[in-house]
Amino acid sequence: MRRPSPYIDRRGDLDIMMTPMIDVVFLLLVFFVWTTSFQIVERVLPSKLTAVSGTSPADPNEAPPPEEDFDRVVVRLLWQDGQPAWQVNDAFVPDLRRTRKRLEDIARITRNAPVILHPDPNVPLGHVIDLYDITRLVGFTKIQFAASEKI
Amino acid sequence: MRVPSTPRSGKVGINMTPMIDVVFQLIIFFLVSSHLTKQEVQLKLPLPTAESGQPGVEENVPRLTVNVLSDGTLTLAGRRIAAADLQLRLRDRLKDAGPGLQVRIRGDREVAYQFVEPIMLACARVGIWDVSFAVYRPEDVR
Repeated sequence: MRRPSPYIDRRGDLDIMMTPMIDVVFLLLVFFVWTTSFQIVERVLPSKLTAVSGTSPADPNEAPPPEEDFDRVVVRLLWQDGQPAWQVNDAFVPDLRRTRKRLEDIARITRNAPVILHPDPNVPLGHVIDLYDITRLVGFTKIQFAASEKI
Repeated sequence: MRVPSTPRSGKVGINMTPMIDVVFQLIIFFLVSSHLTKQEVQLKLPLPTAESGQPGVEENVPRLTVNVLSDGTLTLAGRRIAAADLQLRLRDRLKDAGPGLQVRIRGDREVAYQFVEPIMLACARVGIWDVSFAVYRPEDVR
């Protein structure tokens, strides 16, 4: 009887099954493409509202504790001729960078002073948030928004 | 006719490949659809940027998100709402959720502050003190 030579591979066809592999690769591709989030991650800028004169909370017991009586820092954000303008304690400041500098100077003296941000109604929200952001970055912890009563 | 007395062995195995294909397809369908549902909840808005923004912690706290579109329209839970009705809606929600209710304001960066101010005022009036603004980090939008 003739025995098969050990040097000849007789295991038959070794073709790789391409179809299921392509199926799986496509599925993985589709999965990763669809689940990749192209949305920018949102962050949060927290603020604690405080009771201001004229507002009447539903339950007086729920009102936050009154602020300590430090000198106030009032920062006004005006909208003049389509451009923002800043006022720190009634003194005009030409730009946001110098507003930050002014706030840093005040923060060196006292960080506990309540800062009241008073934007004009026409100011775009982006500028309001810019001002709020630098006030937080400077280190003030008590930041309030002024609200007009006619709303 | 001669009938085979014993079942012939072999060739009765289940073909697994199409079954795996179908299972994969179903898994992907459900994953992707749940992902898209989550995205639909958030209206796309050009939010303001802030360096001091903190990562939004997804705790199990009751939260209400108010969107402010560029034309000043307010939307709450995907529906338009008049500024005058907002206080009532907030009060109702506060009754259900309790005093820990948070309000997140997602406002277009170009919208005038006069459309955002009533939201904060309504929150203060009904006794919601935890109000936050949704922002992007400046480096994320460059």
